[in-house]
Amino acid sequence: MATHEEITDSLKVFTDNYNKNERLKIMNRDWDRVVVVKATDVESRHTMTLKDGVVSLKEGASDNPDLTVISDSETLADIFYGDITPTEPYNNGTLRVMGSEDDLIRLDFISLLIWGE
Amino acid sequence: MQLKRVLTLRTVVATSAGLTLASSSFIAAVQVAGFLLGDTAWIAILVGGVFCFLAAACFSELNGLLPTAAGIRLYFRRAFNDQVSLTISILYMLIVIIGVVGAESCVISSVLNEAFPAVPSYAWIVLMLLAVTGMNIRGVKITGIFQDVITYGLITSIIFFGLIALYKVNFQLNAPLAPGSASGIINAVAIGVFLFVGFEWVTPLAEEVTQIKQISRGMMIALGILSVAYALFTVGMTAVLPKETLVHSASPQVVFARAVLGDAGVLWMTTVSLAATITTFNAGMISVSRFMYASAREHVLPAVFKKVSIRFFTPWAAIVTLFFIGLVVAGVTLFTQRYVMLVELAAAMESIVYALTGLAVISLRRRLPDQPRPYLIKGGYLVPALTTIVFTILAAAVFTSNLWVLIYMAVAFLICLVYVNTTVPYLRKKYQAGKPAAKRRRPVRTAKEVEGKYE
Repeated sequence: MATHEEITDSLKVFTDNYNKNERLKIMNRDWDRVVVVKATDVESRHTMTLKDGVVSLKEGASDNPDLTVISDSETLADIFYGDITPTEPYNNGTLRVMGSEDDLIRLDFISLLIWGE
Repeated sequence: MQLKRVLTLRTVVATSAGLTLASSSFIAAVQVAGFLLGDTAWIAILVGGVFCFLAAACFSELNGLLPTAAGIRLYFRRAFNDQVSLTISILYMLIVIIGVVGAESCVISSVLNEAFPAVPSYAWIVLMLLAVTGMNIRGVKITGIFQDVITYGLITSIIFFGLIALYKVNFQLNAPLAPGSASGIINAVAIGVFLFVGFEWVTPLAEEVTQIKQISRGMMIALGILSVAYALFTVGMTAVLPKETLVHSASPQVVFARAVLGDAGVLWMTTVSLAATITTFNAGMISVSRFMYASAREHVLPAVFKKVSIRFFTPWAAIVTLFFIGLVVAGVTLFTQRYVMLVELAAAMESIVYALTGLAVISLRRRLPDQPRPYLIKGGYLVPALTTIVFTILAAAVFTSNLWVLIYMAVAFLICLVYVNTTVPYLRKKYQAGKPAAKRRRPVRTAKEVEGKYE
């Protein structure tokens, strides 16, 4: 089981890598979204806000997200560190994403562009 | 916590019904009537609808248990194993593409050929597939209010035509409860399942609604409305025109519309058919291209299908591939005119998937007994067991009535099985070999750190 701090660290690594990627920022400049990341086995909630192509992170859950990413703490930390792709846990039911299917594909694609295969 | 974009029950119903409404549905309706005596097609359609209620209940339980856009891919994986899930999912997608695109192309080209005889049939298909491919690549979806308008417009038109026809001939049911032989009824119900193909494709919306029960309610309402609309329309068709005339036409709905309302009817029905085909092609392409993208991401399909448009964030490689597959399938179907076979093939495949869905409910109740189920089918194993038995019989009925369907299905199944057992391991091995030496980015915690956290 990962800790809340580990999830926070993984999300910081993810957002730092995202914000360093100019291509991603340009691609997402019109994609303003609020993404809540929620762990199922530890008390851990974060909100990533994409605005004008830039992503920011804060602790706690937003009341009105566009997307909610739900999984166990280990899976969340591994995904946001880029140690595993989101596809495998999504297809075996470990990872749940609430939101539109198009947003889900974009989130997956962002992770692909940041971490590669 | 509330999602910003929440779909209403009205849209869930429209999406579920909209996915099933296709121009080829009228071919299936005529085939159903052809198996039965007199004007009793409504019996088979309503019975088919009731059976689909059973399947809808199973989908509702699975969807509540595992709410996901991955649908049967995940349900069957958790209920059976990865190999079964992959084989059936690929086979299902394959048959749906071939069956629906082929039959739909034939019907719509026949419809448009009646309205514009100077334009070659195949040109219409190329144009429509190009339009849908363009929409898909640009990420244009027929959703929300547009989906509502199109679906409810189509349903209203179908009901309206049925009622006008019945009124015009001063219809009275003759021997309403004498549909003929048992085998005729079973075959009619089996083909009738095609009328409802795709109602369950609304389950990926599970992640876009706040209450999972809305999906099940939406599916049930859609099935109820469709059953009544198709029953009225089919009885109307057979009341106005001889079955032989309808069975031998690739666009029976237009022949019927002409008989009921003359040229105005043809124009109206052509518009209805066009809307039905465009929504079917569009929804089919969205679903199958997303499936191909997700499969490529898990190294089940070639990596090329992972390509996503940088501008529109849509899986363009999968969409373009589907466009060419559609062209080939449509061309072959137009050339051979064997569209009825495709309807039968799709009906049989759908029955197999529904039968497995019943089994999946039973299996998951045993494997995951404590997992919360927002929707639990009442009556223990009765409904899932009935679903499995009923749809197994219906699939068998299609196979025995046309052995070619069985042969094509068996060949397609074998190809999928061989693919899953040889190509998939190869693709996964290739991915592992090409992957740079695994370097874990996440820092490894020391035992002391772990202890410290839990003291």
